[in-house]
Amino acid sequence: MRHRGVLPGFGPALGFSLAYLCLIVLIPLSATFIKAAGLSWQAFWETTTTPRVLASYRLTFGASLIAALVNAFFGLVVAWVLVRYRFPGKRMVDALVDLPFALPTAVAGITLASLYAPNGWLGSLLAPYGIKVAYTPLGIVVALIFIGLPFVVRTVEPVLQELEQELEEAAASLGASRWQTFYRVLLPAVMPALITGFTMAFARAIGEYGSVIFIAGNMPMVSEITPVLIVGRLEQYDYAGATAIAVVMMVISFILLLVINLFQAWRAHRELRGSV
Amino acid sequence: MSIEIHSLWKRFGNFTALAGIDLEVPAGQLVALLGPSGCGKTTLLRIIAGLETADSGSILFHGEDATRRHARERGVGFVFQHYALFQHMSVFENVAFGLRVMSRKIRPKEEEIRQRVFSLLEMVQLDWLAERYPSQLSGGQRQRIALARALAVQPKVLLLDEPFGALDTQVRKELRSWLRRLHDELHVTSVLVTHDQEEALEVADRIVVMNKGRIEQIGSPDEVYDNPATPFVYQFLGNVNRFQGYAVQGWAEFGGLRQPVLEHGGDTAIEVLGYARPHEIDVKRDDQQGLVATVAHVRTLGPITRIELVFEGGRIQMELTRERYQADPLQVGETVRIRPRRLQVFPAEQAAETATGAAG
Repeated sequence: MRHRGVLPGFGPALGFSLAYLCLIVLIPLSATFIKAAGLSWQAFWETTTTPRVLASYRLTFGASLIAALVNAFFGLVVAWVLVRYRFPGKRMVDALVDLPFALPTAVAGITLASLYAPNGWLGSLLAPYGIKVAYTPLGIVVALIFIGLPFVVRTVEPVLQELEQELEEAAASLGASRWQTFYRVLLPAVMPALITGFTMAFARAIGEYGSVIFIAGNMPMVSEITPVLIVGRLEQYDYAGATAIAVVMMVISFILLLVINLFQAWRAHRELRGSV
Repeated sequence: MSIEIHSLWKRFGNFTALAGIDLEVPAGQLVALLGPSGCGKTTLLRIIAGLETADSGSILFHGEDATRRHARERGVGFVFQHYALFQHMSVFENVAFGLRVMSRKIRPKEEEIRQRVFSLLEMVQLDWLAERYPSQLSGGQRQRIALARALAVQPKVLLLDEPFGALDTQVRKELRSWLRRLHDELHVTSVLVTHDQEEALEVADRIVVMNKGRIEQIGSPDEVYDNPATPFVYQFLGNVNRFQGYAVQGWAEFGGLRQPVLEHGGDTAIEVLGYARPHEIDVKRDDQQGLVATVAHVRTLGPITRIELVFEGGRIQMELTRERYQADPLQVGETVRIRPRRLQVFPAEQAAETATGAAG
């Protein structure tokens, strides 16, 4: 006997999803692979492993990782404040969180660059201490933090809202300190959402282009991210070279995301291991 | 360990949750705080636990002032209505939590933690669920785990906030008598909050009836049921019939019923209300005294027969044992005289407060 659900069946739904994913994701991506396949193996290897390209990978993934970690931490704090406290102007703050989603990334980049430039408002304050933000890798991290913040806040917020205050009270009455309550009770409960938010912020940061080009300075070997490098190749009509680098980036990103998702699945499974 | 509470006040904005509570819980007793929702019973419990702070007043544990002590230093076990189990921890880890968060100096060794947790799980008869997670348990099982968790740190006081409120009737009844047996074994001073009078009557050594932030009566289950101190207690505990009448010169009169009231000997008549339990009413066929009433319904529910009568002042509920009723059955439509064996009289003003209180 086939079990029939309320909604239209599994067949059409799966068919539609696959067709849609093909059209939107898979076909453009495989086009990249096909284009890159135009290069010989030797040429592919040489294009994608020059010191300048390797430096750009390091910068892109490194800066994205740092930015996503910073976002995971501060995003959790912002979400906590928004869920737990009432204060004047809360709705404003709430709306501000989403702004990085809506703002054209180029605008964000230009604003950050002018703020953090040595003669900018913030840059001039930091300059006496020898801290340079604009046109350095640090600037890239700042831009990536900016664009990634909403992901963590918006994924963690609903989970925090669901979390009963009684859990904290139960922990306190059992003798747990505030810190113990946080890391033994609250953090594990929000962890899945936090990792999801982190992953989204991380993935978004890897692909970011618009905001970074203005603040980064784009100096080869120092502050040149991989997307900038790819665009540079395109401007020189080196399509095969551009796609080759893009393929490498894509593969690394895919592996990283896959690993994070597997980790999440493992966690979820571990939590249900008691089930029969 | 005994608990003493002195003139405790608590306000939430304009709402007075507790209006000068004085209460003593002797060591080893199980006391039920009973009252309608909004009467302040949960607030009182949370203040005892240190989860809420009072505006004024003091709490003494074993004679020592604990008013300013933090929840984690009170040595109090708290059981929540909705269990508040840690979802990401196994049953074992939930129960072990209180032991694991102890400072290193006093924390038991891993082997000892294991032993203690398993003996607690055996006590709540759920040792076979140690590796499960809370989401895989039934409501009754969850609450028993929550109780084991609270007992793991060997609290001197156990506080239970409507612990069976979220469970269905059958499970609730089982857990109730189980809790009573458990208390008889452990003798830990316990305070149970409930709005269910049956639960309070069955489980508690003493019942504290609360209404609108005040204590109406404190006493053993029999005392509060048999001798309610106020109209509120009468109406809140069990079913009751209410008669309207007046009192003058030491006598209260309810259309054909007369009863002496020593408290009101004055010459001006005041309105009074009389209260009588359904099982404290007699029916007479040939008497000249008593209220004239007509039998409206007769229903036999297991061992009891419930009779509803109509008189000019309203309706009366009566309860007889099945045997007594069958010895002398009543016909629907028959006119009889009824007389309460016991009728408690309160001034109508006092009862008016009750009505608004019961609604809140």
